[in-house]
Amino acid sequence: MTVPELSGTQTAILAAYAELIEEVGSDDVSYRVIARRAGIAERTVFRNYPTRVDLLLATAAWIEATLFTREESHSIFDIPLAIRDAMQRYDERPELAHVVAETAMRGVSGAAPSPGRAHLERLLDAEVPALDPARRTAVIAALSHLDSAGTWVTFRREFGMDRRDIADAAAWAAEAVLDSIRART
Amino acid sequence: MDEPVDTATAILASAAVLLRERMFDDISYRALADEVGISERTIYRQYPTRAHLLAALSNWIEQTRFPLPPFVTVADFRAAVHERFRAFDTLPAYAYVGARASAISPTIDTEPAYITRAIEAMLDVAAPALNRRDRRRVAASLRYFSSAMFWARLRTGFDLDAGDICDAFDRAVDTVLAKIPDPAWAEA
Repeated sequence: MTVPELSGTQTAILAAYAELIEEVGSDDVSYRVIARRAGIAERTVFRNYPTRVDLLLATAAWIEATLFTREESHSIFDIPLAIRDAMQRYDERPELAHVVAETAMRGVSGAAPSPGRAHLERLLDAEVPALDPARRTAVIAALSHLDSAGTWVTFRREFGMDRRDIADAAAWAAEAVLDSIRART
Repeated sequence: MDEPVDTATAILASAAVLLRERMFDDISYRALADEVGISERTIYRQYPTRAHLLAALSNWIEQTRFPLPPFVTVADFRAAVHERFRAFDTLPAYAYVGARASAISPTIDTEPAYITRAIEAMLDVAAPALNRRDRRRVAASLRYFSSAMFWARLRTGFDLDAGDICDAFDRAVDTVLAKIPDPAWAEA
């Protein structure tokens, strides 16, 4: 996952905004309040993030990179473990998980919805080099879909699952996807 | 376009019209008020925050543009989801609203979506002997792979069109169903 270099001021802004999102329970927080929390002038926030969408995308990327980091997987077959951990981390910060999930669903003007794609492809190619292209895409797409805040949101909202059940079901689904290539290694 | 019956619906219908030319984020309450011909205050009364508006708009779009074909068997479920993914491709701006709305912190709609219940009912018939945990794992996986989120992620993150997305969906469904002990049921 690539994270753009942030200045100290930018980090302060994003951290302040993330903190406020958790307190307010919504991303609807004014620039004035964010500036006050970060201890800087409101125009400094505007200079760094001219629009709310700019601010939201930068914040979501920062949250993913600092709070929802994954331990690096060395094999494609380790991915279910990483997904299990990620679900638990999302569950600890529900408001931030919603923000991350939502920014990935904004189409071209949103966050990259599959930030871990290249990494998954490297792992898969190393372990199962001769997979036909359509099948390879399907495996990567399914795993990258499962390894996201959207999984936590959906399992919680649609099935009322708690932390353990979400982690279990997400890891189980990832194992199901991997079963389809297990026979080929 | 259907005849709007009340203010709340008229607001959603106008928002849907504006969505054809701009992103949801760029639809201000001011512009929406002008479009409907009502005051901005009236919109705030109906939809106190943009999250409320997004959730309501998504529900309305879902009902009017992307009605889910009913399904009982797994084959019908696949066909229904294919039909939706193809419909999403013809109206991507609307489909992204649905994907976003399903990701935000719940506001009005805390009930599970109709498709969730339909998937659970389908599993009750197709795999009645399945233990409770596995049934929930299967239902949750099928639900998540059939979502607007799946379509949005594959379209934006993988540059796939509806045909490829349906293919990826079918393969994902295959892997989930393969976990169920009785292989005959999948053909139901």
